[in-house]
Amino acid sequence: MASYSSDRRSVLKIFGAIGATCAYPFASDELYGQTTSGAHEHSPASAKAPLHFFNESDFATISRIADLIIPETGTPGAVGAGVPAYIDLVIARNTDQQLVVADGLRWLDSEAERAAGKKFVGLTEEQQLSILEPLCAAMDENKNNPARNIQFFSLIKSLTADGYYTSQVGLMEELGYKGNMALAAYPECVHEH
Amino acid sequence: MANKIYDVVVVGSGAGGGTLSARLAGLGVDTLVLEGGPKIDTRTDFNTHALPFEFPFRHIPIMKPGKPGYDGERSRGLGGKTQLWNAVALRFSQRDFKGRQHDGAGEDWPFDYADIAPYYDRIEREVGVCGNLDHLDDLPDGIFLPPPPLKCSDLLIQKGASKLGVKVIHVRKATLTKARGNRPACHYCGNCMSGCDVAAKYNSADAHMLPALKTGKLTLQNNSIVYDLPVSDEARVKEVRYFDRETRAQGVAKGRVVVVACACAQSVALLLMSKSSRFPTGLGNSSGELGKNFIPHITGGFELFLTELIGKPSVDDEGFLDHAYIPSFMHTRKRDYPRSFGIQFNYQNHRAAGWARSMKGMGKSYKESIKDRYPAYLTFTGYHEMIPNRDSYIDLDTENLDEYGLPRARRHWKLADEDWKLHNDMNRWCQAILDASNSEIHSANPQPATNHEIGGCRIGLDPKTSVLDAYCRSHDVPNLYVVDASAFPSSSEKNPTLTIMALASRTADHIADRLRKREV
Repeated sequence: MASYSSDRRSVLKIFGAIGATCAYPFASDELYGQTTSGAHEHSPASAKAPLHFFNESDFATISRIADLIIPETGTPGAVGAGVPAYIDLVIARNTDQQLVVADGLRWLDSEAERAAGKKFVGLTEEQQLSILEPLCAAMDENKNNPARNIQFFSLIKSLTADGYYTSQVGLMEELGYKGNMALAAYPECVHEH
Repeated sequence: MANKIYDVVVVGSGAGGGTLSARLAGLGVDTLVLEGGPKIDTRTDFNTHALPFEFPFRHIPIMKPGKPGYDGERSRGLGGKTQLWNAVALRFSQRDFKGRQHDGAGEDWPFDYADIAPYYDRIEREVGVCGNLDHLDDLPDGIFLPPPPLKCSDLLIQKGASKLGVKVIHVRKATLTKARGNRPACHYCGNCMSGCDVAAKYNSADAHMLPALKTGKLTLQNNSIVYDLPVSDEARVKEVRYFDRETRAQGVAKGRVVVVACACAQSVALLLMSKSSRFPTGLGNSSGELGKNFIPHITGGFELFLTELIGKPSVDDEGFLDHAYIPSFMHTRKRDYPRSFGIQFNYQNHRAAGWARSMKGMGKSYKESIKDRYPAYLTFTGYHEMIPNRDSYIDLDTENLDEYGLPRARRHWKLADEDWKLHNDMNRWCQAILDASNSEIHSANPQPATNHEIGGCRIGLDPKTSVLDAYCRSHDVPNLYVVDASAFPSSSEKNPTLTIMALASRTADHIADRLRKREV
């Protein structure tokens, strides 16, 4: 794969050159999100924001499911990336999704009660996975499976993936997005193909 | 201003209107451009470099907060769609202009490649197009700036395609790889279609119209939505009626010549709306062909991972989106359908990974599989021509009015059997090339979709079967021209914009010549 250095000094140098030809109006720090540091205004991980749709108990359940879908590894998982707050925000705007989620949460706790006499969040990780993994497998088999509990899992998984990989943690830290830079030239591929 | 009579009034400021008006002004023709959308300051108004986590819903709006302009690709603003396009700039070939001679289907253009070639030369010199001299019979070379190198992923596709005898070449784009005038060279940030905020990528405002203001012959008037072109007893457009986008105040502009350049379906809609006792079914529609022969490009679509790149480190290979192109090859091979296809690929950037939600599994292995595939992800989309048919046309939806109370343009299209054969063969070839490149297919969408609106107002020699003559002038209305892709009688499989610009430049010369000879 192509390799080159795009350290901060070279970025600023290129900006100087652009500025000379077209009166580029921004400082590089304002322009390129990834060169700024500190929490962003909207960064969901930055503060405990008020919930828009879920009550605290349902939010805890959704948070647990999200973290089982994308767990902490060498990088933060869904909860560490603020994904549950994103899910809350999106679902607050969508009445169809609200119904799916309400049914799903009720189903989940009744399954948990039946298996171990506890609510879902009170189960061990192994017990939680034994409820969720069959839903995930059924969804992988057929993502349009109309069963209500599979629709519920499918919705939470989609929102978890969307929220995680568009978060600062998911995009920058986990995936290592490196674009949005000003390069003086496009690097040649140095691989043997 | 209400009393001023311009030489030319141009409706629309995109690739067609922007190119034509700048050329006219340069020739000393007093030109007014009416643009329906607001003035755009390319350098400050777009969210070019934003990242999704800056927004609570993670969707990056096109415009910065408080800046009026685009809410989608098809909406209005100075520069039209050239502000948001991907800048692919391909010349049509002799085969594209004379497809009917080649395979007996569809309609030919009333001129040859040689007639339009000087205008391609002119446009490439004016705006700067990068590309490689490939010496292909079906994709004429132009006057090129050097292309950026192919991406690592392009080289893998190139190697796979070559096993099937299919060529992968450098794409040709109207994006500067060397600084020119007040436009710097591309800096390869990968956000071309979010509004290039340095105008390294061509847009008609920064590259054509704003420089032409120096002539003193060009007047730009924004926020003016044209809704009617009434005609005089001599079947000439007598004025251009518009209203202000914000205040809705009505206005009138007058010109000896009127040029409609509102981007295909919208141009057709304006002519269909401009009904009169002389033209009861729409302006210049004595042929009954206005709105007919709608021939948008038809696409398929794959998402895939190149297995050789799975698990490799993430790098910055955003570039200016796609760097490579697979030009038509089926036109030289045995096949059971007319026309051909080309393939555009690797035009995504990596600012998001929307495909992650449809990866299988959950937990640590799911997370790892996404990280591994992130550097290996590509899009791969064939584009093919369709032959005009009676089921594919543009009309007005008078039941469903837009926010200004105007009828919306409604697009109808249907593939005929021969188009389906081409479509299916294109998807088979895409799959074969991807297999030969060791791809893991993530999604395949075999269903046809449209891109690049083309046709509806076609040029031709016969006023009974075409709307415009060879210079894009209405057969019926001697001071009315239409310069955008609606004028194309056949679409080629190649992206239309460079040809829109060449036609607009040629039409500008023609109009200036007629004004000089006092023919209008």
